[in-house]
Amino acid sequence: MSLTALRGSRDTPDARGTRGTRRWTSIGDGPTPTAGRVLAYAVLIGLSIVVLAPVVWAVLSSFKSQSELAQVPPSPLPSSLRTENYTGALSSFDFALYLKNSVIVTVGATLLTVVINTMCAYGLAKYNFRGRNLLFLVVLGTIMIPLQLIFIPVYQMAAQLGLVNSLWGLIIPPAATPTGVFLLRQYMLTIPDELIAAARIDGAGEFRIFTRIVVPLSGAAIAVVTIFSVMWRWNDFLWPLIISQDQSKYTLPVALAQFNSQLVAPFNYILAMSVVSMLPVVIIFLVLQRHIVRGIASTGLK
Amino acid sequence: MTSTARMAPRRTVGPAVPQSGHRKSVNRRRSVKPWNQRVAPYLFVLPNMLIFGLFVIYPAINNFNISMYDSGNGRDFTYVGGGNYQGMLSEAEFWSAARHTVVFAVFFVTLTTVVSIGLALLLNQRIKGRAFFRTVFFLPVVISPVVVGLIWGWIFERKNGLLNSLLGAAGLGQPGWLVNSTLAMAVVIFVGLWLHVGFYVLIVLAGLQGIDSTYYEAARMDGASGWQQLRLITLPLLRPTTMVVVILSLINGFQAFDYIWTLTGGGPVGGTTLMVQYIYEHAFQSPVQYGSAAAAAVVLFCAVFALTVINYLYNQRKESA
Repeated sequence: MSLTALRGSRDTPDARGTRGTRRWTSIGDGPTPTAGRVLAYAVLIGLSIVVLAPVVWAVLSSFKSQSELAQVPPSPLPSSLRTENYTGALSSFDFALYLKNSVIVTVGATLLTVVINTMCAYGLAKYNFRGRNLLFLVVLGTIMIPLQLIFIPVYQMAAQLGLVNSLWGLIIPPAATPTGVFLLRQYMLTIPDELIAAARIDGAGEFRIFTRIVVPLSGAAIAVVTIFSVMWRWNDFLWPLIISQDQSKYTLPVALAQFNSQLVAPFNYILAMSVVSMLPVVIIFLVLQRHIVRGIASTGLK
Repeated sequence: MTSTARMAPRRTVGPAVPQSGHRKSVNRRRSVKPWNQRVAPYLFVLPNMLIFGLFVIYPAINNFNISMYDSGNGRDFTYVGGGNYQGMLSEAEFWSAARHTVVFAVFFVTLTTVVSIGLALLLNQRIKGRAFFRTVFFLPVVISPVVVGLIWGWIFERKNGLLNSLLGAAGLGQPGWLVNSTLAMAVVIFVGLWLHVGFYVLIVLAGLQGIDSTYYEAARMDGASGWQQLRLITLPLLRPTTMVVVILSLINGFQAFDYIWTLTGGGPVGGTTLMVQYIYEHAFQSPVQYGSAAAAAVVLFCAVFALTVINYLYNQRKESA
């Protein structure tokens, strides 16, 4: 069973189909004129360079000394793989702390997200109860209300609950992701009701059915939500910027942005820490991209 | 053929298909469910819905309420009615941010739609390394926008930036990319596109795969050229997907903030300050002008909401016509 099955009859529910090359083509086999093909490759390669160049340039330059960075014209490669920018940033500034805050928030919020999103999705997918449709509408509605449009009242709520300048303030409010609930609910709809009914007849309690039957069967969707949540929380900026007013509660992106704009830390340190910020998500993406692509394709949501 | 015909009206067959929900609705709804099955769903949705209520729904409503109050410190509020809106509308900064947001959004949405459809069409052919290209184009989406802004800001730097070094070496001059407001806006739009377009490429690719290949077979048999196939089959059938791309990129464009914050900081002289940054600065940076920030947030909220609805209705009508 796979998420592709959710997208309706036009897709084969065969998960292996996603790996085959044919999946990404519908304009089949007609012979393409060579000139057009060459042009297509030229455009694709050119744009790939535009996409990759800044990332590669940043990674290479993160090993350069300050004088090398200021050099005109810049040399493409660092003179040696010196790691002073990394060690210097960690020792002369509190980047280790910001890194730790980022990890705590990412892990904590993702755990909370997965637990409450999965529970909520199960309630909405597999029970008939009064108010269910209204609650599902609420989920869809909250997808349309991003934080960027309401952060003043959200901040006030957080302030009233004492969540400002606390990592809990970074973990709890963003944890209930509507996208996650939606994605999981759609997936759980494909779990046969008979399985749940059979477990009830065998005397399993409602919560036990959830943990022993529904959660294991929703592994693929839970994986997608986990990956998304990690990327969202790791890269979050506006909410941490508002909540973490105290330097000791900065996450990595907040520290990078603040230190850069206030010219607190030298740019070679900022660059090294930027690479540290990029690396985990890029690796996760490269290893697990199949799940990510499938998740986006099946919901059309970020 | 006969088997599908028999399958079709299966709902009317009733008990033959074991659909628990369906069957229960036949004999009174509430009758047999035990107590724990009636309570369980509420307990399952409770934690998530509680957070929704506290941190999304109530604030979204409270947004309107707050915009009627003013505060110089974010703690003590005085009721001013529509005063915030009056103040905001007479403020040059607000109009500047609003204008820049519209300019940014128009270019961002247009370019995103065109480029993502173009790239997806290229990637939807039999091309070597397609998986590689798809991965590359999506890569920026996962990178922290703060870092993206930092890196591009450094590359676009006037003196030591990579771009101007290359341009200088080629004898093409060294424009002040982030010093001139028109150029800075162009840079911000470009970086926004760089950051987000891979996400929309995926959506369009999924849409392209949804188009039945028999259309193309029939068109080829009738001697339609590749261009005709694109214009008469692909683009019309892609319209629902195009609508999704336009709506999502519009919502996305109106919220643009993080990468601009580190790329230009909203400068030069407010030349790339968009609405979210305007709201943030007025609410959280001194001098705090809470009222106008809250009023601007309501305006932005309504604008995004209205645009989404208009776009949806427009496309509904086009499809039915």
